[in-house]
Amino acid sequence: MIAGDRLGSSRRVAGLAGVVLTGFCSALAAGLLILLLGYVVVQGWSAINPSFITQLPHPVGVSGGGVANGIVGTVIVVGLATLISVPIGVLTGLYLAVYGRGIAAELVRFLAEVLSGVPSIAIGLFAYTILVKPFAHFSALSAAFAFAVLMLPLMIRTSEEAVRGVPTSIREGALALGLPDYGGVMHVVLPAARPLIVTGLLLSIARVTGETAPLLFTAFGSQFWEVNPTNPMAVLALQIFTYAISPYDDWHRQAWGGALLLILAVLVLNIGARIALAGRTKKF
Amino acid sequence: MTRRTSAALIAGFVGSLGLATLPVLAATQLTGAGSTFVYPFFSKAFYTYSQQHPDITVNYQSIGSGGGIQQFIAKTVDFGASDVPMNDDELKHAGGAVVQVPVALGGEAITYNLPVSTAGGLRLTRETIADIYLGKITRWNDPALVKLNPHVSLPDLPIVTVHRSDGSGTTYIFTDFLSSVSKEWKDKVGTGKSVQWPGASTVGGKGNEGVAGQVRQTPGTIGYVELAYAIENKMSTAEVQNKAGKWLSCTESTVRAAAATKANVSATDFSIVDRPGNDAYPIAGYTWAFVYQNPSDKVRAKLVKDVLSWVTGNDAQKIAGSLNYVPLPETVQETAKKAIAEVKV
Repeated sequence: MIAGDRLGSSRRVAGLAGVVLTGFCSALAAGLLILLLGYVVVQGWSAINPSFITQLPHPVGVSGGGVANGIVGTVIVVGLATLISVPIGVLTGLYLAVYGRGIAAELVRFLAEVLSGVPSIAIGLFAYTILVKPFAHFSALSAAFAFAVLMLPLMIRTSEEAVRGVPTSIREGALALGLPDYGGVMHVVLPAARPLIVTGLLLSIARVTGETAPLLFTAFGSQFWEVNPTNPMAVLALQIFTYAISPYDDWHRQAWGGALLLILAVLVLNIGARIALAGRTKKF
Repeated sequence: MTRRTSAALIAGFVGSLGLATLPVLAATQLTGAGSTFVYPFFSKAFYTYSQQHPDITVNYQSIGSGGGIQQFIAKTVDFGASDVPMNDDELKHAGGAVVQVPVALGGEAITYNLPVSTAGGLRLTRETIADIYLGKITRWNDPALVKLNPHVSLPDLPIVTVHRSDGSGTTYIFTDFLSSVSKEWKDKVGTGKSVQWPGASTVGGKGNEGVAGQVRQTPGTIGYVELAYAIENKMSTAEVQNKAGKWLSCTESTVRAAAATKANVSATDFSIVDRPGNDAYPIAGYTWAFVYQNPSDKVRAKLVKDVLSWVTGNDAQKIAGSLNYVPLPETVQETAKKAIAEVKV
């Protein structure tokens, strides 16, 4: 009995220690995140005002100005990247989940996995080599291509998971009602998988929105309005980088402001992803 | 989200992209890249230029002189800029005759960050600057520095030298200066856009921006930056003894005096460091812009020619003067004009 008690108490101690340790680590992680977010908010808040969002950057040494061109540039580059990566990502995911068998599917999965581990700067250099140098022109399009490549692994994985999550019985039901195979996939399986696919899309957009390295040798940056995707363009993340390493106090302030804008954008995307997921649970 | 609303969203998004593209297609964007030394000037000048010419924007990115030459050779930019002309090897890689145009003149300040008051100025001889960067003088209270600055209570603090981490014309000018004042530097390290920094305690910064930022943030540091960066950021700058033995601060007039000792410059004879003359500040140089002599796109080349003519003209050089650069001497302006005329459009 005494042995049993001892065992019981030591288990209780170990259990308690486990709870305390995991709790402490969770608190540490959450605390660091809150500290980081709080710091960005405190530093960035003072920079955000109407002119910061609506004006062009001012030349060096002239205070004021904004990042309006960078905000528009971010929307254009990420928008184009989405247009490129969604069809490829979703169809690849569909292939893997529905048709892909054997070594071919494994190879595609493996390559997507490898792609997700490639450093973003290497992807930027790749985009420079195939889209900037041959055309002798920096462009937002080359940045969008680099972003699309960065988005693909996550898009493929979530699309595959989303399609897999749709019960086979539903697709069989569509076939039984006389729909051809592609009709069943297009009109029944994909719509059912859409909330998860949209979630994956929003998360991959959030992942690339803050990327800077691939932009250095693709989008190149600009101080002016530019919405033609074949030209160099300002992008918010790149502006933050340029401003942050500058020696000017005003630019430091604007870099914090830009960082706050990016965090807010990613927050909105994450909330959007949750709402999209909530839509899914209601449907089933 | 129903299918119809998402379709409408996508249509709206693509449509607004198309619409937004329309008015700006009319404006031509010229791109340049390179020297960070000249960036405060170019930034202001091209801003002014696009206000005067709403149909042209000149997008100049300060990626460093080394990067500027590389991107120029890769033909990804309309013009490059560097604080040292392209050398023979680089010209060979350019794959076509290159026209090099002097566009700006400026000085490099020796800037430092000390936690004590240096009212009355910190004085450094040419030799002590070389010894600091050689790693032979490693503490701020070194007897050599104390002897030069009896009025400053120099702290017992290690000296951290700051250099450029990227290929830099500013570095070229600075190492050109060090090579001409110190035989040991010339033999051990030499002159170049990027060199093997010999000191044990040295850190790199990207661009003039990065070096200025490092020095501003870290006590005990010393660095070399274009004068506009030092003044704009209210950084302390050292008085440097020149070849004639005079103590000079880096100012518009001492840099002008240095340039005046050389009647004209060319892409092969351009150095104005460590010049004789009582008022000549020893660390200064010209920035050069590069364009191809026989450009394939004549329309863009014509626009670039116009921009360069304006930049080297009196209006833009006045802007340079207001930003602590030195307006180009008349003889050099003539040289620039002749060079620009060589571009065939």
